[in-house]
Amino acid sequence: MLRDLKGWLPVDAVVVNGRPGLRWMDMAGINLAEPFFQQTVARAKAENNRGELFTEFDVLLQLERVLDSVTPRGFIFHSSRCGSTLLANACRAVSNSIVLSEAPAIDKLIARFITDAAEGGVKESLYSVFLRGVVHALGQRRNGNEEHLFIKFACCSFSQIERITRIWPDVPWLFLYRDPIETIVSNMTDVPPWLIDNDRRVLASITGVSSEAASVLSLEELCARTLGSLYSTAHRLATCNSMLLNYNQLSVPVIANVLSFFNVHPSTEEMDTIARGSGVYSKEVSGTHEFIADAEAKQKRASDLVREMAATWAIEPYRLLEQKRLQSNNLRAVSRS
Amino acid sequence: MSSSNLVPGKHVVATDFDGGEGILVDLNTKKYYQLNETAMVVWKGLENGKTVAEIVADITANYEVAPERAILSVQRIVDNFQTYKLVGAQ
Repeated sequence: MLRDLKGWLPVDAVVVNGRPGLRWMDMAGINLAEPFFQQTVARAKAENNRGELFTEFDVLLQLERVLDSVTPRGFIFHSSRCGSTLLANACRAVSNSIVLSEAPAIDKLIARFITDAAEGGVKESLYSVFLRGVVHALGQRRNGNEEHLFIKFACCSFSQIERITRIWPDVPWLFLYRDPIETIVSNMTDVPPWLIDNDRRVLASITGVSSEAASVLSLEELCARTLGSLYSTAHRLATCNSMLLNYNQLSVPVIANVLSFFNVHPSTEEMDTIARGSGVYSKEVSGTHEFIADAEAKQKRASDLVREMAATWAIEPYRLLEQKRLQSNNLRAVSRS
Repeated sequence: MSSSNLVPGKHVVATDFDGGEGILVDLNTKKYYQLNETAMVVWKGLENGKTVAEIVADITANYEVAPERAILSVQRIVDNFQTYKLVGAQ
């Protein structure tokens, strides 16, 4: 059974007949080339009849002993709609890299820290072990030459950064964020699944309200409160093992700096690929749609409600986070001089 | 100490977590067990083929604990392993 799972990846965390576990898919010969993990899974499904199976979580503990896997090199967290996919794509441009971009099995297990695991309880330890196991399984060496493993998490997963860094205390992490008004406008224009999930427990936990209260908030308020909470978490927990990055800083040299922070040093050819990638829309699979800067347009499009909610819930945490980022940049500059 | 030849069951998988603690899963029953640091030391000792007396010696050598207390603690942990059928005779 375990040997048979080599080359298979846990593509989702699911509950089957009341049994929580993982849905696996035969991904032999499939590179994780798309901007999002789910896009790769969709391609694999479309190409031919890929084998699928369900297992309970205990398989992960057994696989940890037999699968050769890459240790995580860098974590990308973000506040949504702020350039994190561009960064993930840049990591993917580095040879021998595996990039897990919002893999559902990872982010759903992290969500269970909120929905099913009391602080310090047995389940918290269990989900931590499962999360480590899922990453080990997803980071397996399927070609044999993989060296770097990067994980880009879904935005809500950042709320569990303390639990994640308990599992991987030495892995450097980055928090990417953007001006709250621009972020809210983007999320209102194309509403993401995390903002309209029927199960409000995750957002309720992040925003500090009850599930009932969360379910009646406007999307603008829910988004603004979530952003404020994520900014505050980053402000509180950013350390010397982490990097704060604003969307408005993103450029090819800054991306190179991020990779260097992850202790990866791309070749000239790889940097050329990254530079080309920064000129196109990062989430689109074909990579042919030209990227158009839209910060000003988003500011202009913001409704009164967006501005009010941003002012109430997100702008002050954003300002404090910016202050911390600038101070830490100054410290880095001083330490270099 | 009567349980000197116990070994972990082949149906049990152990994994480290958070420094010294650990999780055991019984693959037959699908039950999970959380082990504290001492219980994990005992489990690893059994995995390495040590007797209970040898495990007690390891613990008293590495932790500030009286031998009598270490014996009681290790025996209680081993008894629990046996109760839950996580270990068996060699």
